[in-house]
Amino acid sequence: MGFLEKQFEENVLTTRVDWLLNWCRLSSIWPMTFGLACCAIEMMAVGCAHHDIDRFGAGAFRASPRQADLMIIAGTVNFKMAERIKRLYDQMPGPKYAIAMGACATGGGPYYKYGYTVVKGVDRVIPVDVYIAGCPPRPEALLEGLMKLQEKIQGSSIIRKPARTA
Amino acid sequence: MDFRGIYDRLRAMKAPGMTGCDEPREKNPEDKKDKGRFGDPYVLVEPALLPAFLDAVRMDAHLAFEMCIDLTASDPSTDDENLWVIVQLLSLTHKHRLSIKCLLPKANPVMPTSVPVHRTCQWHERECAEMYGITFEGHPDPRNILLPDDWVGSPLRKDYEFPEEYHGISCK
Ligand code: SF4
Repeated sequence: MGFLEKQFEENVLTTRVDWLLNWCRLSSIWPMTFGLACCAIEMMAVGCAHHDIDRFGAGAFRASPRQADLMIIAGTVNFKMAERIKRLYDQMPGPKYAIAMGACATGGGPYYKYGYTVVKGVDRVIPVDVYIAGCPPRPEALLEGLMKLQEKIQGSSIIRKPARTA
Repeated sequence: MDFRGIYDRLRAMKAPGMTGCDEPREKNPEDKKDKGRFGDPYVLVEPALLPAFLDAVRMDAHLAFEMCIDLTASDPSTDDENLWVIVQLLSLTHKHRLSIKCLLPKANPVMPTSVPVHRTCQWHERECAEMYGITFEGHPDPRNILLPDDWVGSPLRKDYEFPEEYHGISCK
C-alpha cells in the first residue's frame, strides 16, 4: 500500500475504500427467489448442499426484492411476467444486478419462433449483467456466472460511474 | 365396456346430437394412397347439443360417464373449415372411457357451455376460448385464463398473426 506501509503499528490493515466496498458487496450477493420455469430446478440444485452457492456468499435466497441484490432470471419470461419483473427489479435497492440464466431468459430459447407470449430475452425489459448459456445451464455454469458477476463488481468504483449497459 | 359396446348403447338410447363414430383401421393394401387411421375411436357429436349429450351419458346407468377428463380444441389445418372440440370422458363406475369430437365451423365458433353438466369444464373452456376464439355461451366466468386480459387474437389458430409488440416490448 505504498507509503502508508509500515507507518502504523502491527494489527492495522490499510486498504482502498473501493476495494473494501467491492469485496463486501461481492462476498454477499443475496439473490432473489425468482424461478420462472425449468431452469429454476438447476438454480435450486445450486442452492443445495452438493453445489452450495453459499460458499460464494450468495446462498441467502430472499423472498422479497427489497432485501435482494441479485435477480437470477431462471426460466421463460412471458409478457404477463415481464411487467412484473420490471416492477420487482425497480423495487430492489441498488447496487443491483441481474443474471439471465438459460436460453429462454437470454433470447427466448426454444420458444423463439412459435412462443406467442414469450419475451425474446429478458434484456428487453431490464438491464442484464451476465448471460448464462444452456438449456438448462449446469449448476457449475450458474456458479461460473456468479463468479463473472463478482469479477464485474470487483472492477466497479464508488467514484467512477460503474459501467452499465442499459 | 369396449368402444363397440359403448357405441351400440349410445345408439340404443338415442344419445342427443350424436352423428356417427370413427374408428382406427388398417390401411388398405390395394390402395397406395390409403394410410389407414391410427389412434383412438371417437364419436361425433353436434356442438350445439354437446351439453345434452354429456348429461345423457352421465345419467345413463350402463354408461355412467361421471367424470370429464379433458375438454380441449384443435385447429387441424388452414384449409379445414372446422375446429375440433374434443372431450374425454371417464366412467369411474364401469372403468371405461370415451372420446368425443365436435366439428365447430370456424366462421361462427359458438357453442353452449358444458359447465352445468361438468363443472371441471370451466377452466378448460376458458382456455379453448382464448386460444381458439370459441365462444361458450352461458359460461359463468368468461375471462382469459392464461393470456393477458388485453391480448388480441387466438394464438393456437393456424392463421394466427404474431403481434409486433406488446405494451412496448418488441415481439420480433
Ligand atoms: S432455457 Fe431451457 S431449461 Fe431453461 S427455462 Fe428455458 S426451456 Fe427451461
